Amino acid sequence: MPWDVIIFYILATVCILAAGGVVISNNPVHAGVFVVLCFFNVAAIFVMLGAEFLAAVQVIVYTGAILVLVLFVLMLVDPDDLPEFHAARPVQRTVGLLLGAILLLEVGAAILNRTVIGQQGNATPENVAAVGGNVQGVGRVLYTNYVLAFEVVSLVLLVGIIGAIVLALPERLGAQPDQRQGTISLGHPRGTDAAIAAGPLGETPMPPASPREPRSVPTLDPQRELIMVRDPDEYTTIGRR
Amino acid sequence: MIEAASQPLWLTFIVAFILMNVLLVGMAYMTYFERKVMAAMQDRMGPTRTGPKGLLQPLADGIKLLGKEDLIPASADKIVFYFAPLIVFVTAIVRVAVIPFGGTIELFGREINLFVTDLNVGALFLLAFGSLGVYGIILGAYASANRYSLLGGLRAAAQVVSYEIVLGLSLVGVFLLSGSLSIRDILLQQQVDLQIGPLTLPNWFILSQPLAFVIFLIAGVAETNRAPFDLPEAETELVSGFHTEYSAFRFSFYFLGEYINMIIVSLFAATLFLGGVDGPGSDRYWGMGVIWLLVKVIFFLFFYVWLRTTLPRFRYDQLMGIAWKVLLPLALINIVVTAFIRLVGNGQL
Amino acid sequence: MGELGVNHFLFLSAALFIIGMMGVLIRRNILIIFMCVELMINAVNLSLVAFAWESNTLNGQAFAIFTIAVAAAEAAVGLGIIMALSRRVTTVDVDEMRTLRD
Repeated sequence: MPWDVIIFYILATVCILAAGGVVISNNPVHAGVFVVLCFFNVAAIFVMLGAEFLAAVQVIVYTGAILVLVLFVLMLVDPDDLPEFHAARPVQRTVGLLLGAILLLEVGAAILNRTVIGQQGNATPENVAAVGGNVQGVGRVLYTNYVLAFEVVSLVLLVGIIGAIVLALPERLGAQPDQRQGTISLGHPRGTDAAIAAGPLGETPMPPASPREPRSVPTLDPQRELIMVRDPDEYTTIGRR
Repeated sequence: MIEAASQPLWLTFIVAFILMNVLLVGMAYMTYFERKVMAAMQDRMGPTRTGPKGLLQPLADGIKLLGKEDLIPASADKIVFYFAPLIVFVTAIVRVAVIPFGGTIELFGREINLFVTDLNVGALFLLAFGSLGVYGIILGAYASANRYSLLGGLRAAAQVVSYEIVLGLSLVGVFLLSGSLSIRDILLQQQVDLQIGPLTLPNWFILSQPLAFVIFLIAGVAETNRAPFDLPEAETELVSGFHTEYSAFRFSFYFLGEYINMIIVSLFAATLFLGGVDGPGSDRYWGMGVIWLLVKVIFFLFFYVWLRTTLPRFRYDQLMGIAWKVLLPLALINIVVTAFIRLVGNGQL
Repeated sequence: MGELGVNHFLFLSAALFIIGMMGVLIRRNILIIFMCVELMINAVNLSLVAFAWESNTLNGQAFAIFTIAVAAAEAAVGLGIIMALSRRVTTVDVDEMRTLRD
């Protein structure tokens, strides 16, 4: 069996196992790691298919940026351990698996019985190497045939950036730190209430700025011991003024 | 892609093995170099006791790190805790595979390539594995079950991702001028001579892309979480950042991974901007080429240590502000100006 | 089995797509659903590139680049929505997010 078939089978097996791991794993961070593994192997398969630029773009953009963003949001938003997969309804699980298997067989039959429509293009490996490699070839195609789509995609990305910024802004601009609700946990299932009450960057909320009546400062009697326990509020100035 | 001698696979493995070992020894002695240079700049002597002139200090450090107790927090996620430092280390070392240390030489009756591989997306390979290194930081921070580590790790990851964008964009100018992403290609284009008036200068991209060089250098320092951009892991802030809970050998993976990252960024800068193995006498003797590359890399490493001893640390918002508000627009302006000049020079405008 | 044909890659793409679809249908954690959607998009990319390889064109690869770019925009906006939602509802269980329905 030639080498590329063996390598393909190894990569494909890891891909499918990692995808299965995403669906099965309880812990969302483990699921994230499995997704990264799957995408990295898909990038390797892209290299096998002669799409080196796409493989690099997949690793840099998809794994290196999009999934990092997903992991960030995971750690800032989530998790109590949801009673998810193990406690979930077993009937639903088995029916789901059965349907999945049937669908896979159907798609497999469709793949084996397909007919090829359309002509062969002229980007054979020799022609692509003559142009200078996969990057130059894809560049030519992108900037001649698909230049309009290219511009539209840049607009889509601009709209995406604006949308993400608008969504991530605080609900009222200029909201006071002590009015913020403690809904953003710090990403660990054993976080305490004090940690939950703190803001997303760990700052503790300011106590409400109510006027305090001045406490009487105990006078120092030199005959008594010098170590006294005093009210810790007197040491702080937060909320005093 | 340039024609490379097709050598048997085992020979490529031997070259890769030698390069990896050279990199690891270099990383170990980089720690020694840093301590000695920092000491000299601070008017003291660095390690002097272990071995002659303290040269065995990295060995002593390694033995110490191996001998420490390996503590794992009780509520840590053990598998992720185990793998996270390895990600940083491995993605750093793999990047040496695309850096050329020369051309094709004739040795022992065979033709040997002085590089492991020559991908036609070589520069993107370096950027790709750099961006995979972020996972080591995030997962290590998460697995530590320590909310300060998590915060430090998220900050470090946000910093690395932001500066990665700046790094990539600063290189687009170089790609525009060289017309290729393959690093050997870029290297060969820098070995051409330019005639500027009475001077004959090599076509190093530092001369044609000075702004990109400066941006690359700043972004490279920030990518590797080194001073003055090392707030997420500084010892005086956030305890030790995302690697607080790591001890002994696991910590050494993070620590040494950072040094390998420094060496790789220096190699990258030397190859893409300073002509790599180009230098007087390098076209006749391949050894001279390797020596010139080493000189340039040591110059960049010295620059790293110099920055660490001299500049105070940036605050986190200053750090991110520099990336997004200063360096990114400058890199974009550089791309536009380079493209314009290239079109004018080609007569297509 | 002896020679690598397009059908191998198409089977892999179909398997990844179906596993992703199962994940979207079975899981209740919204971020894992999101990751399974990304898995499905990736499976489609793989089949695009496999067809481009078979027919010796580069159009499939260009289309896959556009897909990745649009997926990036979708990820940014989708995660923004999730973060905004999480400020109101303190859970990520999609079965609890039914205020539009009730």
